Amino acid sequence: MAQVEIVDTADVKTQEMVLNMGPQHPSTHGVLRLEIGTDGEIVRWVRPHIGYLHRCFEKHAENLTYPQVIPFTDRMDYMASMNNNLGYVLGVERLMDIQVPERVEYIRVIVCELNRIASHLISFGTYGLDIGAFTPFLFAFRERERIFDMFEMTCGARMLYNYIWVGGVSHDLPDGFIEAATAFVDDFEKSIDEYNGILSGNKIFIERTANVGILPADMAINYNVTGPNLRGSGVKWDLRRDEPYSIYDRFEFDIPVGRGEMGTVGDCWDRYMVRIWEMEQSRRIVKQALQQIPKGNVHAAIPKQVRPPKGECYFRTETPKGELGVYVISDGTTKAYRVKVKSPCFVALSVLPELCKGAMIADVVAIIGSIDIVLGEVDR
Amino acid sequence: MDGYLSAVVFYVFAAITVLSGAMVALSSRLIYAAFSLLLTFFGVAGLYIFLGADFIAATQVLIYVGGILILLLFGVMLTHRIYDFKILSTRVQFVPSVIVVGCTFALLLAVIFGTRWQMVKEAPPEYTAATIGKLLMTTYLLPFEAVSVLLLVALIGAATLARRDLTSGEES
Amino acid sequence: MQALAQYLIQTFGLPVPLSVLSPLLGFMGGVVVLTAIAVQAMYLIWLERKVAAHMQDRLGPMLVGGWHGWAQSLADGIKLLLKEDIVPAAADRPLFLLAPLVVFVGSFAAFVCLPFGDRVIISDLNVGIFYIIAVTSFVVIGIIMAGWGSNNKWALFGAMRSAAQIVSYEIPVGLSLLAAVMAAGSLSMQEIVAAQDGGIHRWFAFRNPFLFVAFVIYFLASLSEVNRTPFDIPEAESELVAGYHTEYSGMRFSFFFLAEYANMFAVAAIAATLFLGGWQAPWGGGAPIFGVIWVIAKAHFLVFVQMWLRWTLPRLRVDQLMYIGWKVLTPFAFACIVGTGAWMLVFKQG
Repeated sequence: MAQVEIVDTADVKTQEMVLNMGPQHPSTHGVLRLEIGTDGEIVRWVRPHIGYLHRCFEKHAENLTYPQVIPFTDRMDYMASMNNNLGYVLGVERLMDIQVPERVEYIRVIVCELNRIASHLISFGTYGLDIGAFTPFLFAFRERERIFDMFEMTCGARMLYNYIWVGGVSHDLPDGFIEAATAFVDDFEKSIDEYNGILSGNKIFIERTANVGILPADMAINYNVTGPNLRGSGVKWDLRRDEPYSIYDRFEFDIPVGRGEMGTVGDCWDRYMVRIWEMEQSRRIVKQALQQIPKGNVHAAIPKQVRPPKGECYFRTETPKGELGVYVISDGTTKAYRVKVKSPCFVALSVLPELCKGAMIADVVAIIGSIDIVLGEVDR
Repeated sequence: MDGYLSAVVFYVFAAITVLSGAMVALSSRLIYAAFSLLLTFFGVAGLYIFLGADFIAATQVLIYVGGILILLLFGVMLTHRIYDFKILSTRVQFVPSVIVVGCTFALLLAVIFGTRWQMVKEAPPEYTAATIGKLLMTTYLLPFEAVSVLLLVALIGAATLARRDLTSGEES
Repeated sequence: MQALAQYLIQTFGLPVPLSVLSPLLGFMGGVVVLTAIAVQAMYLIWLERKVAAHMQDRLGPMLVGGWHGWAQSLADGIKLLLKEDIVPAAADRPLFLLAPLVVFVGSFAAFVCLPFGDRVIISDLNVGIFYIIAVTSFVVIGIIMAGWGSNNKWALFGAMRSAAQIVSYEIPVGLSLLAAVMAAGSLSMQEIVAAQDGGIHRWFAFRNPFLFVAFVIYFLASLSEVNRTPFDIPEAESELVAGYHTEYSGMRFSFFFLAEYANMFAVAAIAATLFLGGWQAPWGGGAPIFGVIWVIAKAHFLVFVQMWLRWTLPRLRVDQLMYIGWKVLTPFAFACIVGTGAWMLVFKQG
C-alpha cells in the first residue's frame, strides 16, 4: 500500500493583503482610515490613521475668550454636546471659584443626562446598522427627535447648543419643558424594552457580537480606557459615583457593568448592553431631578467678564464616551493660556488594534461599533 | 415546414457549441476561454433537448454550468495575475504537423461518412426522468453504487488535501 | 402553447401552420412574461419601501403620483434609464456589458415553467421543477462575470462570496424540493399542483410534518439564493460597498435590481406551487381566472414575509452563513426526505 503524502501547506505561498477601510466608509463612524493587514479572512494588524477631522480646537481656545470657546466644545463630541460644555465650564468655574445656584445645577444634570441618552441612542442605532439590522436605527431616531424638541424649546438649537455657560446656563427652562420631559421619561421605559426585543436578544445579533473583540479588564485599565468600554469589561468605575462633581451625589442610580452573560466579559455584546442599561439609569436620574428641581434665577452667578486668576486646573467629567479631562491654564487675562482636552474616544481608538488581532474582517466593523467613537472628539 | 424550423434551430445550437468550443481552445485570454465554456455547455444542453433527453439536458446545465464551470472560474480568477497571462501557442515544426493533422482529419471524415448510423425510428419515452430512475435502481444499480463510492473517495481526498493546520491561517 | 395554437387554428380557421404558430405564440408568451416581470418588479420595489417604512414607524413614498406615491418606482425607473452609461476604463468591456444580461436571463428563464392556472403556463415541461433549479445557476455565472468585469478587487470578492453562498445553498433547495417531488410523484409543475387538489389539508406544507419542515428549509435556503437579509452579505458587506454591482450604474444597475426582485417573486411562486397548492383555492379546485389570483396572492404573501425578515433581522457573517447551510439545513433536508418517504410508506397516501 503506497504511502499517502500530504502536501505541506507551507509550500503554498499566501500573501498578506493590506486592506484600506475609509476615510469615507459607511461603518467607520466618521472620517477614519483603517489600514488592515489580513491573511485571508483573519486580521493580523490594524493601523488607524486619524486627523481628518482636526480643527485646531486647542489653538482656537488660546485666541478666544472663555465664553467664546464654549461653542467650540460643542463640536468636539457632537453627539453629546452638553456634556462637553459641562466639562469645560466646570474647569473654568473651579479656577474662578464660582458657586452656581441650585436650579442651575439641576438644569445642568437634566440636560446632560438627556444628552447621554441621545448619544447612547445613536450608538445603539448605528451599531444595529453596522450589523445589518436597519430598523433599530429609526426607532432610536424617534426618541432622539423628542429629546431634540425639548432642547430646541430650551435653547433654540437641536444638536450644538452653547447652553451651559460659565456660572450658569444661557436660558432658563421654558414653560412646558418639565411636562415634556416627564412625559418622555415615562414613555422611554417602554422604548428600552422595545430595543431589547428587536436587537439585544436577537440570536443573530448575539452570534455576531458575543465573544468578539474581548477587552480584558487589566488591558482596559492599562490603556486608560474609560466609560462604557471600561464598564463593559467588568470594572465598576464611574466618575459620577467615584469622584462626584456637580450634584450627582444626590441621585440614586446604579453603575451597570458587563457580566459576560452571552459570551465573555468584555466582549462587544457587554459593551453594547452597558450602554442600554446606562440609558435606563440616566432616565432614573432625569426623573429624580425633575421632581427635585427648585426655583431660582439661572443668571445670578454669571460673571460680567470671565477673567480667572492665574492658575491651572484639571477637571474630569463622565461623558457618554468616558472620562473627558479638561486642563485649563489661565494667565490672568480673559483668554486662556492653554486648554488641553483629554478625549476618551482617542484612548478607545488606541485599543482598537489590540481588539482586532485575530478577528475576522466582518468582526472589525462590529468592534468599531462597540467602542463607540466619534471622530470629532478623537481629532478635536 | 416543421422539419425546416427544427433544422434551423439545430444548426444554430450546433454553431453555438462549435464556435464557443473553438473560442475555448483558441482564445488567447484564459478568462474568455473559461466564459466561452458556458456557451459550449449551453449548446450541448440544447442538442440533448433535440434528442428528447430533457432530464439529461437539465442535468447538463445544473452540473456543468452550475458546478464545474463555477469551480473552473474560481480557479482561474484566484490565480495570481491571471489577467496578464496570454496563452500563446508557439509553432514548432510547421510542415510535418500540417501533414499529420491533415491525415488525421481525412481519416476521421472517412470513419464518419463510412459508418452506418443507426436511425432510431420510435419516439423517445415520455417521462425520461422516471425511466432513468427505474433503470438506475434495477438494471444499472452496480454502476450507480460504484460511482457513489468514487464520489465519496474524491470528497474525502479533496477534504484531506484542503485541510490546513489549526495554527496557520484559515480556509477562506 | 401547442394546445393553445391548435385551439386558435381550429376555432378561427387561421391559415397558419401549427409549426409556425406554436413557436410564435411561445415567443409572444415570453414577451408577455417579460413585461409582467418588469411591472411586477416595479410594484414589488414600491411595496418593499412601504413595508420598510411602516415597520420603521414612518410613511415611505407618499407624493409621486398622488395616492401613497404609487408612481415612485416608475419615476425611479425613468431616472435610471436617463443616467449616463458609465463603463470603467479599466473594466473588461465584453464581460462587463454581458453580465447583467446573463443574470437577468437566469431569472427570466425560470418563469417559463411557473403555473398560473389550470392550463395557464408557458410550457409544462416534464422536468419542470428540475429545469427551474438548473436554469437559476446561470445567475451565479452572471454574478461572477460582473465581479470580474468590474476590475475592482472588492467587487471580485463580493462576487466570489455570492457565488459560494448561492452554490452552497442550492443543495438544501434541491433536497427540500425533492421531498415535495416525492410526495407528488412527478417533476412536472402542473402535476405537482394537481397532486395537492382537495383542500388546504392536502397542500404539501400541511400534509405531513416532514414536508412542513421541508417548506421552512426551502424558504430559508431560497432567501439565501436571492441574497436577502439575513444572508445579504454580498450586497451590504461593509468593506465591499455594494458587492458585485459596485461599478454598475443606470440601466445596467436596474437590470440587476430587476433580476433580484424577479428572483424573489420566482422563488416565492415556486414555494407557493410546490408547498402551498399553487393555483388551487383553499377549498380545492380553481377556475382559470381565480387560479391566477390565488397563486399570485400566495406568492405575494411569501414575498411579504421575505421583506418582513429583511427589515427585522441583522446580517449573518460569512462563516456563520456557511455553517447554517451545510451543517443545519442540509442534514435536516435529508431527514425530511427520509421522513416523507417513511410517511408515504406507512400512510399509503402522498
